[in-house]
Amino acid sequence: MEIVVCVKPVPDAETRLRVRPDGTGLDEEGVKFVLAGYDESAVEQALLLKEAKVATGVRVVTAGPSPRSEEVLRYAIALGCDHATWIEVPADPRPDAVATARILAEGLKRYPHDLVLVGKHASDREAGLVGPALGEFLGLTDYAGVVDLRWDAGRSLFTFLESVEGGALRVEAPAPLLVSLQQAWNDPRTAKLPNILKSRKAPIERIPWTEVGPAVQERLARSAQRTAFRLPPPRTGAKLLEFKTPDEAAEKLVRLLKEEAKVFP
Amino acid sequence: MPDFSLTPEQVDLRDMARKFARTEMLPKAAECDRDGHFPEEVYRKAWELGLMNLNIPTEYGGSGLGLMDQCLIVEELAKACGGMTTTIMANCLALEPLLLGGSPEQKERVLTPFCASYNLASFCLTEPASGSDAGAVKTRARREGDEYVIDGEKCFITNAPQANLYTVFAMVDPALKHRGVSAFLVPRTTPGVSVGKEEDKMGQRASSTSSVRFESVRVPVSSRIGKEGDGFSLAMRTLDQTRTPIGAMSTGIAQAALDYASEYALKRQTFGKPIAEHQAIQIKLANMAQDVHASRLLVWQSAWTVDQGKTGTLESSMAKCFASDAAMRVTDEAIQIFGGYGYMRDYPVEKLLRDAKLAQIYEGTNEIQRIVIARELLRNRA
Repeated sequence: MEIVVCVKPVPDAETRLRVRPDGTGLDEEGVKFVLAGYDESAVEQALLLKEAKVATGVRVVTAGPSPRSEEVLRYAIALGCDHATWIEVPADPRPDAVATARILAEGLKRYPHDLVLVGKHASDREAGLVGPALGEFLGLTDYAGVVDLRWDAGRSLFTFLESVEGGALRVEAPAPLLVSLQQAWNDPRTAKLPNILKSRKAPIERIPWTEVGPAVQERLARSAQRTAFRLPPPRTGAKLLEFKTPDEAAEKLVRLLKEEAKVFP
Repeated sequence: MPDFSLTPEQVDLRDMARKFARTEMLPKAAECDRDGHFPEEVYRKAWELGLMNLNIPTEYGGSGLGLMDQCLIVEELAKACGGMTTTIMANCLALEPLLLGGSPEQKERVLTPFCASYNLASFCLTEPASGSDAGAVKTRARREGDEYVIDGEKCFITNAPQANLYTVFAMVDPALKHRGVSAFLVPRTTPGVSVGKEEDKMGQRASSTSSVRFESVRVPVSSRIGKEGDGFSLAMRTLDQTRTPIGAMSTGIAQAALDYASEYALKRQTFGKPIAEHQAIQIKLANMAQDVHASRLLVWQSAWTVDQGKTGTLESSMAKCFASDAAMRVTDEAIQIFGGYGYMRDYPVEKLLRDAKLAQIYEGTNEIQRIVIARELLRNRA
């Protein structure tokens, strides 16, 4: 069984983000790009299936500009993925979620994919659209918000839990399929130092933009573009409590939460 | 012109160490400091990720890094906790004599199983009555047939309570003075080896330190590193390699102090404005920043020199001595900027000063470093 994991580079949560002076976007100078959190779970899931001998190979794919795309692919290789593919997309115009799914689908058609894994949404835009749209373009049934994905070898079925409000559905589905993974339930591993060093020399298959079909190129051109970008105004209204004892502080806080913030009756 | 830019691999190593320091070490640093707790789970994870045994070649299961790479990692780790950094780095110190003087067969026999699982080793040079005067070791090793019999006591040994391998420097022939010293690999399980009580230290409390006693400890001749009498030279050449990372550790501690102090100075208000707007505080921060930056440059230049295959005795002594003295100045000023809060254990800066202090003392006191620096300096003039 061959697994393909699609990943997106997002700014490291530790990075202090700045908006470009002309307001056209984030100032990416010095920003470190890392695997989006749910994508880490998707990679971890693929590696667990490989270690359980369910999968023979794991390919990681991303579509985007340089150098962030190669950076996250290398990290995925350091984690244990076998192959990496970079679909080289120009930085401008930016693809929207559905355009990204079209681009990824073009790439994935080149490789066997019994199971396609994605994070349920990336920690920058949180659109959650790429997974379902990619499933549609590849003609695969897709499942979102999945945890605890396992392979039942006896019945040749995947079994997993799909999150719903207040609980989960136990689902069984045959391959091929596309799964969007829920939060970091599987405690994604950290790359080991020797593997990080080795990943620098790992080959990355590159699909140049010119090889992507004209229909997809046209779809990218229709992507929604943003015209202005600014940070939210600084928050105001913080209230400092004056108190002499912890009991008094708690009493005042409860009263404020009840009467002013109306968090509970 | 010199090039100070890091390679992509070095950026990766630094970022990886930074993430490990923030997520695994920092959350436990204050508690381990308070309780003198040895966080084995942190050290096991460091081993799993390849952050221990940095200097051991990959063919034996180590990470096979040069000194510059090691220093980048050590600085990041030390920003989170100096004590944990000392324990993580102690294997590099303990095993360097074997790397320098061991035969290929001996390295394969000892290092491969050692690196294959979580293991700690200790460098046993210092004795109750000989620290800086390393040629005056009293621990004796007597040759009896195919064995040596070791008797004596070592003290202030990092990781000794948990280590299962000791690199022991012992006097074979006192008449030869420092040329009579040999180095031996002694497994902890050897009969006659016993570990003293754990020391209650001023700082670096997440690392463990104790004495080790050797009473009629018999080891085969094959456990000797190098030739008989090579011990003192091996110890000195080892310290040439490991002094620079002590400078990197000091730089990391100082950088942490500067970071905490800058952040605090921007928040803390006096006389109607953040204290960072008072010139008295700005001058302190500017001096601290210069100390940190100068330390880092000395460390990098020393690491580069050693990575060029030179001994780097002068460079590493300057890097270690300057950076550890600078770390004391910087952590002291950080406490001053925090005022009363800085003196309290609930705030992170007083720990930094206590952790930094050790770097002026271990792996050659800064007084010894100055003797070395002066000797190197004058030798070139004579």
